Amino acid sequence: MKTKSMLVAAALSLAPGLLNAQFDFTLFDKSFQIHSFASEGFAYSNDNNYLTMNTSQGSFAMTDGGVNISTQLTDKFRVGAQVYDSNVGQLGKWHPTLDWATADYRFKDWFGIRGGKVKTVMGLYNDTQDLAFLQTFALLPQSMYPLDMRSSTIAHEGGDIYGEVPLKRWGGLSYTAYAGQRQDSLYGGYPYLLHTFGISIQSYGGLVVGQDLRWRTPLKGLLVGASHMDEEITGTGTVELSVTHGPSFQGITPYWEKSNKDQTNQVYGQYTIGNLRVDTEYRRYWRDQEVFNGTAEVTTDVRTWYIAGAYRVSRRLELGSYYSRFSDNWRSTVPGQVEAPNQSDPSRHLYDKVVTARVDLTRYWNVKVEGHFMDGWAGTFYPDGFYQAANPNGIAPKTNMILVRTGWNF
Amino acid sequence: MKHPQFFLFATVAGLCAVVTASAADVKIIANESVGAASISADELKGVFLATKTSLSDGSHVVPVLEKGGPAHEAFLKDYLGKTDSALETYYRSLVFTGKASMPKTLGADAEVVAYVAKTKGAIGYVSADAATEGVKTLEMK
Repeated sequence: MKTKSMLVAAALSLAPGLLNAQFDFTLFDKSFQIHSFASEGFAYSNDNNYLTMNTSQGSFAMTDGGVNISTQLTDKFRVGAQVYDSNVGQLGKWHPTLDWATADYRFKDWFGIRGGKVKTVMGLYNDTQDLAFLQTFALLPQSMYPLDMRSSTIAHEGGDIYGEVPLKRWGGLSYTAYAGQRQDSLYGGYPYLLHTFGISIQSYGGLVVGQDLRWRTPLKGLLVGASHMDEEITGTGTVELSVTHGPSFQGITPYWEKSNKDQTNQVYGQYTIGNLRVDTEYRRYWRDQEVFNGTAEVTTDVRTWYIAGAYRVSRRLELGSYYSRFSDNWRSTVPGQVEAPNQSDPSRHLYDKVVTARVDLTRYWNVKVEGHFMDGWAGTFYPDGFYQAANPNGIAPKTNMILVRTGWNF
Repeated sequence: MKHPQFFLFATVAGLCAVVTASAADVKIIANESVGAASISADELKGVFLATKTSLSDGSHVVPVLEKGGPAHEAFLKDYLGKTDSALETYYRSLVFTGKASMPKTLGADAEVVAYVAKTKGAIGYVSADAATEGVKTLEMK
């Protein structure tokens, strides 16, 4: 796998020089556009392995990419689709997915509908979190946009209504409301975590209903917004009895878990002035779920926030920094799962201080160098970047990591 | 320095000239199919940020950009409030999430005028002194 990643990295390094424009063509009098992107990362940490990569030894296993095609069929009707693939440590594992595939009809500027597999609008960056070339940072704040949990929020199969409502001197409102089904990747962080408990997930997903409202305020450059999402999630698969009940029990039986309440609330703001951009977001995620075929219950209350700043120094160089906080309160009736009493315990939080330099080598090719200084690891019963399976010798309370990521798009 | 007040006045006047000249250096042009004779700054911003696809008279419009140059810089600064890289990032975020296509981008005033002249609903911007035969110039409300 390492050789494969090295080859991809080499190909990515060559590609930008060969391709530097979007690809357009006309078919049946309709203009089609094809765009694509890819990125390759190298992460090296002083101790713990992060995001299932072998970062303590230095890891190139951080590759992703996508390609899309779209066309405007009429003035109001457009269609398109994008395929996405990734390999990040034990996540993704080169299983391509249909990232989005939408038919979009805009009746008026203030009312449109889109259906199919739709990117979920939530907060500032949920729908663009994969697109590293858009971001200042090599990794977005993982408290808010965890790479290992991307498939749980990235898209839904269903429909959106959306629109823009001008408020004249009061700015303007953008709204999105959606409903559909989410279907998680079987190669994401949560299925990977459940393997620790002998559980092999075969299907994970369910109903998603949500709204996002954002206000371009009269103060030039200031955007504020709020998002809300309710979900009904069911997971099914199998469980190895020897793992859950001890070595004297053998065999594999069906497994299920489901959420009784699964809710996300998020507020955010962004201020841009000249070459400076400041982002901040707060999210509270509440989940009450039945696990192990209804024999146990786990409630999780995750609270996260970050503040980030980025300044474009020149056409080629952008500098950025953020402070990201993840903390959780949880209660479990699973035997042996006991929460540490204090939030200050490294198993109850994960704080990350980050500094980044982004260099735009060309209009379509960038390199980012980023330092992470992490405090805490937030436990092993929640998928938050640090996994017991990836750290079999235990997890140290602090982690420093350097990440170099190059990205290309056209 | 014999006349410091003069130099101070000249400097301030020069800065003001630079600041005020930018908006006047750009004119907004549209294809003859666009019914409106004028456009507001908010409408213009909406059209070029892909949140607005029609004007108040109902005309469907499609934005056309210049790749660079003084008119482009002035237009971004005065009407969109975004830097060139921020605008490009914005468009790409729409393209890669399936919400819009990348707008047509052309190299010079003459190319923009020629494209707008032949493309139904096209709306663009050029230098104030550019020849604009075959297109209509929209007044700013």
